[in-house]
Amino acid sequence: MKLKNFPRPFIPLIALICRLTLATIFFYAGIEKIVNPVDFTVAIYNYQLLPDLAINLSAIFLPWLEVFIALSLVSGIYTRGAALLSAMLFLTFATALTINLVRGLDISCGCFGASSGTISWFYFARDLSLFCMSVFVLIYDRGWQYFFS
Amino acid sequence: MTQNNLSIKLYTAFREGIIILTVALLAAVVFNLARPAGINLFGFSSADLIKEQQSKIPSITLSKAYDLHRKNKVIFIDARDPLSFEEGHIAGAINIYPDDVSLHATSLKIKADQGFIFVTYCDGPQCPLSKETAHSLIQRGIPTVKFLVNGWSLWLNAGYPISKGKK
Repeated sequence: MKLKNFPRPFIPLIALICRLTLATIFFYAGIEKIVNPVDFTVAIYNYQLLPDLAINLSAIFLPWLEVFIALSLVSGIYTRGAALLSAMLFLTFATALTINLVRGLDISCGCFGASSGTISWFYFARDLSLFCMSVFVLIYDRGWQYFFS
Repeated sequence: MTQNNLSIKLYTAFREGIIILTVALLAAVVFNLARPAGINLFGFSSADLIKEQQSKIPSITLSKAYDLHRKNKVIFIDARDPLSFEEGHIAGAINIYPDDVSLHATSLKIKADQGFIFVTYCDGPQCPLSKETAHSLIQRGIPTVKFLVNGWSLWLNAGYPISKGKK
């Protein structure tokens, strides 16, 4: 295996860094929630956005979706799909945060399982930054083959 | 980047996204069924959760509540309906129905920062309103909340100070 196109041009390199950062965040977030699904059901319930019927299913499904997005981003398999899902997830999280910040609810973010802090505009800004990184990956990522031959 | 290029990338992304979604859903359901600590897919009950959370809210005794009242360290929150409140309530109490907590959250937070303790009450040993209001207050970041079981009747029978009217 031989390195090529490294470190220039910069845009694919930045996309690669964004991709690996997102993968790390999703993997950590997903595993934390898989380990303790009950805590995550409470976190989802506290947002008061979903009906009871959808809470357990979301608590089971979302962490695995995060893990699979992370695996896709790291492996370079279905990267565009993973980046699109990642962008959609961060947009959804940001919307849910905004609604509850406006409502004035003082609830746990639930972003990384039980060890998350209380929701704040900082989390909103963080979600928007990660959303931008996801869109950047979606548009500019060139895969591992761009750097290795 | 041409428009055509972007369309192709988006089409690919949608197709791949659906595959990832499907695989993740399958893995999630299978893993949940297989693990001993798996949870029921559609079995969440918010009523049970609220009951459990409310059972953790600390109660306060009448004598302790009166003691705090004398020291001006407590704000009583009357969780009954406005009509009952007007007919009579603990002196200095505020009337907040469980659903109306968000309207008062900001001013109550300021009071909490000043060191006040909040005691919610309603009437009757089985009355759920005081616990519901206490729960809503805690959800909105007010930590020092207790509830007085059968508060109004106990306070009235003890002959402690009361008020009538809207304030």
